[in-house]
Amino acid sequence: MSAPGLFDSGLAGKVALVTGGSRGIGRAIVETLAADGCDVTFLYRGSAAAAEEVVAAASAGGRAVTGEQADVRDSAACAAAVERLAERAGRIDVLVNNAGVIRDGLLAMLSDDDVETVLDTNVGGMFNVTRAVAPHMIAKRSGAIVNLSSISGQKGGRGQTNYAASKGAVDAFTRALAVELAPRKVRVNAVAPGVIETEMSQAVREMAGDEQLKSRILLRRYGEPQEIAYAVWFLASRFSQYLTGQVIAVDGGFKME
Amino acid sequence: MQQEFSKEEIMAVYPKVAETIADALGSEPEDVKLDVSLIEGLQAESIDFLDLVFRLERAFKIKIPRGKIVEDARGDLPESEFEEKGIVTEKGMARLREFLTEVPAERFKTPMKAAEVPKLFTAETFCKVVLRAQKAAAASA
Repeated sequence: MSAPGLFDSGLAGKVALVTGGSRGIGRAIVETLAADGCDVTFLYRGSAAAAEEVVAAASAGGRAVTGEQADVRDSAACAAAVERLAERAGRIDVLVNNAGVIRDGLLAMLSDDDVETVLDTNVGGMFNVTRAVAPHMIAKRSGAIVNLSSISGQKGGRGQTNYAASKGAVDAFTRALAVELAPRKVRVNAVAPGVIETEMSQAVREMAGDEQLKSRILLRRYGEPQEIAYAVWFLASRFSQYLTGQVIAVDGGFKME
Repeated sequence: MQQEFSKEEIMAVYPKVAETIADALGSEPEDVKLDVSLIEGLQAESIDFLDLVFRLERAFKIKIPRGKIVEDARGDLPESEFEEKGIVTEKGMARLREFLTEVPAERFKTPMKAAEVPKLFTAETFCKVVLRAQKAAAASA
């Protein structure tokens, strides 16, 4: 077999699983990986219509793209979805833990549900899916896991204790799992987006105010989902083969207060 | 003492178990003797057990719940009686000797840390894990 070309990402023909793939950043990740030749399965919780749209758009290039409805908080549903994918594809090369929710509010005002939903989805969901996928990667002695963190994990903002705690956990999980899986040649990294123009961040942007928020970003603008997808794609690809246990901020140069 | 499985039953699954262990640990198949400790003899790490169980499930088309081996080893003994401050109690040691009949007596060193129990596991331990899973599947079919 000839060596891959300098600009060959190595992703063609690979099998990827993306959680929270029907909207926003997740959708951009699904489309980017599929565009580079991955067969992509994505999990989504809500709208089947949105998922169908993603399948149609992402599979236009000829790759197999599948949407599966599963709530990442449900470990049995995650395990079943992963098993179905492994049965179908024979392996899983890339996992992107993207599913996440925001329920901002001042600490004293947060309900139990606000705390539980954010931690169970953003942290529990990552555990549930990764636990099911990791043995497949360990057995193959290869794989790349990319977790979606957030700038909030490092530079917490007011009203974000639950979200910031969940993303801090993503960072710690990423480093610990990288140690655990490195001997089995599985890489684990995270991307920490700054303020990205998505439905999910809309409330945050409105609450903080555009001008105030942008004044803290060196590039003076919000990011786009595609700009996060590029970073995820890089971490999933051969180009980052010497990179593990890292949390890469893609935030336009977000300044601490 | 009544053995849980006959030698014939063990030997029926042993070749495939040994091959699976060799694959998971990257060892030479001839080094995977029936009584070899996977950790001390074949340099397995705890994460290798996860890989091994995963591979055994596929090789034998069985289901082995995670944590099942240690749970079975403890049997009916509540955790608080099995270990104290991380050390296996006398009762716990007796239970281990009874359950892990395949492990040579001299390997049961006291005091034994609970975290060191997997050091006792041999290739035969995993043959028994497979046989137990097959039996459970047959019983529920």
